[in-house]
Amino acid sequence: MVMWIAVTVVKLLIYFAILMLFVAYGTLAERKVAGHIQDRLGPYHCGPHGVLQPLADGLKLFFKEDIVASEADKFLYFLAPALAVVPPLLVLGIIPIGESITIAGKTIPLPIANINVAVLYFLGVTSLSVYAIMLGGWSGNSKYPLLGGLRSAAQFISYELVLGLSIIGVVMLVGSFNLVDIVKYQKDMWLFIKQPVAFVAYMVAAIAELNRAPFDLPEAESELVGGYHTEYSSMKFALFFLGEYANMVVSSAIATALFLGGWYAPCSFLSFIPGPVWFLLKTFALFFFMLWIRWTYPRLRYDQLMGMCWKYLIPITLFNILGTGLVVILKAGGV
Amino acid sequence: MVGPLLKGLKITFSHLFKPAFTVKYPYEKIEVAPRWRGKHVLRVDEEGREKCCYCGLCEAVCPANAIRIYGEEAPLEKSDVGKIAVIYEIDYRRCIFCGYCEEACPRGAIELTTFYELAEPEREKLLQTKETLLEKR
Repeated sequence: MVMWIAVTVVKLLIYFAILMLFVAYGTLAERKVAGHIQDRLGPYHCGPHGVLQPLADGLKLFFKEDIVASEADKFLYFLAPALAVVPPLLVLGIIPIGESITIAGKTIPLPIANINVAVLYFLGVTSLSVYAIMLGGWSGNSKYPLLGGLRSAAQFISYELVLGLSIIGVVMLVGSFNLVDIVKYQKDMWLFIKQPVAFVAYMVAAIAELNRAPFDLPEAESELVGGYHTEYSSMKFALFFLGEYANMVVSSAIATALFLGGWYAPCSFLSFIPGPVWFLLKTFALFFFMLWIRWTYPRLRYDQLMGMCWKYLIPITLFNILGTGLVVILKAGGV
Repeated sequence: MVGPLLKGLKITFSHLFKPAFTVKYPYEKIEVAPRWRGKHVLRVDEEGREKCCYCGLCEAVCPANAIRIYGEEAPLEKSDVGKIAVIYEIDYRRCIFCGYCEEACPRGAIELTTFYELAEPEREKLLQTKETLLEKR
């Protein structure tokens, strides 16, 4: 028992470190990708090619003046940034980075918690992060953050549906909510080949849930100043940012497990590279895809955003579920 | 609908690998045009005498009132016409780099150079006197 707790704590620390590193260098990657797409260089001054920029940013944010809006609802104002970071950290527990490793004759499972309702847990926990944005927008007692928060709530509720419905197709094929089972099912063929519609719908919904461009209406700079975090400064602002990037990483990781074959190598002759490396590579590829999307498309109008969700994505994912169900039944030997 | 979206992605991806236009400024600098209007210089003639003869036209023409000039009579070895600007101050907190002083000067004594890095940590240092403005021979 003591051994088990120790192993879990060590795993938690390692995964937390990986996530934080991923987040820190995610911000750098974002700025570098943005720069190069616009024929600029991005951060260049701190260290060779700007590799120390995340450290410099972190230091700067720590030492900035922490301003509290005088009319703010203090309790919620302080609670919101913390709430922004918690959901992605909770999801960290179920990410199946690999199956198991053997150290000193003992087999240690790599996921922190191999629970049988992992997918539901993911959906439940990530939907909490809307509270951070809504409360952050509300508690500052200022009009622009409030508008951003309200938009976010509407957007989140709509796209949460698409996210759930797109995952159902996968769950029907595999017959399990367990992420490790879902990854094992993809040993021969990745699920995005069998479920391309669900994969696209998942990525669109994930980007919308993360408030990333082209769906970043809650923080539309040109109309809402900074959106929900207008009234925040210093480390509280940084926590919102940290939460957003951690959410991106976690969503990419879950998409990797659901659609891109988790820790399995794309071809069998590449399987000498250990599974966790593949997992991180695929996660980074999806992360890069999100950056790429952001610096390609302009922002949608609000009614277009809602229309796309309710008029197109939800019917498409529903039809996908019907089709998948038909295939599952026919394969099982008909009605 | 999907076609244009993919085309957009292709365009941005191709730009990822194109060389950047960025000039890494403190390390690299762009060459400015020879007619660039930067910091002033007070010219001296072949014998090392100041060309400025304190006519005061630059001070009069300066639209930003950035120039302060005061002159006295001087021996011929210091000035070929017998007058010299004892005080010549240009206040770079006010100067708009219009170049009228250069145009107004009848003797070509004041010119604008291509030097443009005028930033100072203290505002007072932007008030420059003859010591820094005079051409070094």
